[in-house]
Amino acid sequence: MIQSIMNAAVLGSIYLLFSMGMSLAWGTVGILNFAHGAIFMFSSFAVYLITSMTALPAILCVIIAALVGAILSVLMQTLVYGVIRKRSTDHHAAERNVIIGGIGLAAILIGFASHATKSGSFGFATTDQNPVLEFAGIRITAVSLTIFVVAIAISIALAMWIRRSRGGLALRTVGVDAETAKLMGINESRLAIGTMAFAGLLAGLAGGLLTIHLVAINPTTGDGLLLKAFAAIILGGVGSVLGVVIGSFVLAFVETFMILGGVGGWASAVAFAIIFLVLIIRPRGLFGRAEVRRT
Amino acid sequence: MNWIAANIIPLQATVTTFLLALSFQFPMRLGLFSLAGVGLFGVGAYSSGIAFAKFHWDTWSSVAFGVVVAALVGLLLGLVVARLGGLYLAMATIAFDMIVVVLAGNLTPLTGGYMGLFGIAGKVELWHLGIIAVIVAVLFALSERGGMSRRIEAVHDDAALASSQGINVSAYRLTAFLVSGAVAGLGGALMLMVRNTTTPDAYGFGLIVVALTVAIVGGTKSWIGALIGTIIFTWLPVFLTVVGEWREVVYGVIVVLAALFFPTGIWGSILGVRKRLAERKHAGQRDVVDEMATEPDAAETEFLQTVAGKDSEQ
Repeated sequence: MIQSIMNAAVLGSIYLLFSMGMSLAWGTVGILNFAHGAIFMFSSFAVYLITSMTALPAILCVIIAALVGAILSVLMQTLVYGVIRKRSTDHHAAERNVIIGGIGLAAILIGFASHATKSGSFGFATTDQNPVLEFAGIRITAVSLTIFVVAIAISIALAMWIRRSRGGLALRTVGVDAETAKLMGINESRLAIGTMAFAGLLAGLAGGLLTIHLVAINPTTGDGLLLKAFAAIILGGVGSVLGVVIGSFVLAFVETFMILGGVGGWASAVAFAIIFLVLIIRPRGLFGRAEVRRT
Repeated sequence: MNWIAANIIPLQATVTTFLLALSFQFPMRLGLFSLAGVGLFGVGAYSSGIAFAKFHWDTWSSVAFGVVVAALVGLLLGLVVARLGGLYLAMATIAFDMIVVVLAGNLTPLTGGYMGLFGIAGKVELWHLGIIAVIVAVLFALSERGGMSRRIEAVHDDAALASSQGINVSAYRLTAFLVSGAVAGLGGALMLMVRNTTTPDAYGFGLIVVALTVAIVGGTKSWIGALIGTIIFTWLPVFLTVVGEWREVVYGVIVVLAALFFPTGIWGSILGVRKRLAERKHAGQRDVVDEMATEPDAAETEFLQTVAGKDSEQ
């Protein structure tokens, strides 16, 4: 039982690391990045390519993956999303074209990785083992523990930053009303690049950690996570840090216990049922603020 | 005749993809970013397959059953998501698509589960598909003419304004889901009849990407856009074998370029260029008659737009 709770907590932390940056970018600078799952996968794929030449320490693998994620995300923002938003005149067209651009970007990255790996799975060649820690009869690998601690630490740090710092205030202002924010002297495009860099960093971090945790992932792993992230974000409320924490863990616990309860075949339906029901009953999620119309 | 026999699969796929693209396009013409078409395509395929295999109906009754079930499911979905718009509608409809996949995978006695549904040996000839495609295209073309097309455009541009002009916006939205369901169901049912077998994975995220790509790259304003997109994406891999191998990458590049440079799709861009040329010609003729005529004209249109309450941003 305790073991299952631990497993659910680690799964929830993965969802959390993956969803947090996506939720932040969506809720503040208004970019719903459909290529977030592809960034996650490709960061890990890049490390796989490097370690297939020379084995590296696990920690270095994770750092490289995070950096690759940040770079990819910034490239997407400057070359595609930023341009789309500058070119489109109305808000809805911009939203729609950002999604479509994201789908295209995801297809490119997934296409490259599938071609190179022949749609098979890939992992890292690390120089160190993933040690199993044991206390009070509970076994947990070092990586699982790291995933949990990192996810919680980053959530707390992000929540504090958004609430307390000037940068966080600027980001919240953009989320409420981008045009007024611009009049107040906030440089929206710089803020958007920074937010996307952070989102990509988290995606890469999640990619590196999950690959070590599971030993291998495959080119479409990111797609599945993307759908889970939608559920976690929508349940908690778009842009809310507390919301995405709660959303990720609720989703992970429900899924884990459905599999334990022998109805595992339906576990994947939970995420979609959550998206559907929350949107219909309470579209702004548990902790989201009421939608401010930006026209 | 040999060419047709050799290319029977892409020819069949042209028709079913065209129907799927139309089911994506119709809600978009009303400004609804719905991705439910893929789920409804699956509903059509599975319900016609169940009618054929479990109830032992004949081919066309099964197809009709698929169309009716998908249209009803579409209508129900439209009622449920009636208040959602923008990205939230996109999310809810993606969730709907995925729920269809999970249902198909788990209702094993009816759907065959993840192993799939086999032996749906429907008797559908290529010319049947051709006639159906033409009929559907004509029906869509009719909806793009006259008062109907103007009302649809009004709902797309500004739902509140359309409503104040006496257009029943929610009825139009429901109709969009009903039509989307019927067309997608028809496409799904026909696809199953010519392929004879199906699995739940066929209706996953991958098909959403394909359908969206086809609809957007062609253009969402007219059925011609859907046709252009269908032809490009069905026949590109046939003619360029290199593309076959790098298919996903090439698709991705095309989609990104479309989002960047042709947000209204290929057909939308063609129409835009044509309109600009016509305007230039028009303005040129005016200049000869009366050089002053164009200036007040522009001011007048702007004034009319302001009176109509249309934001210049929109």
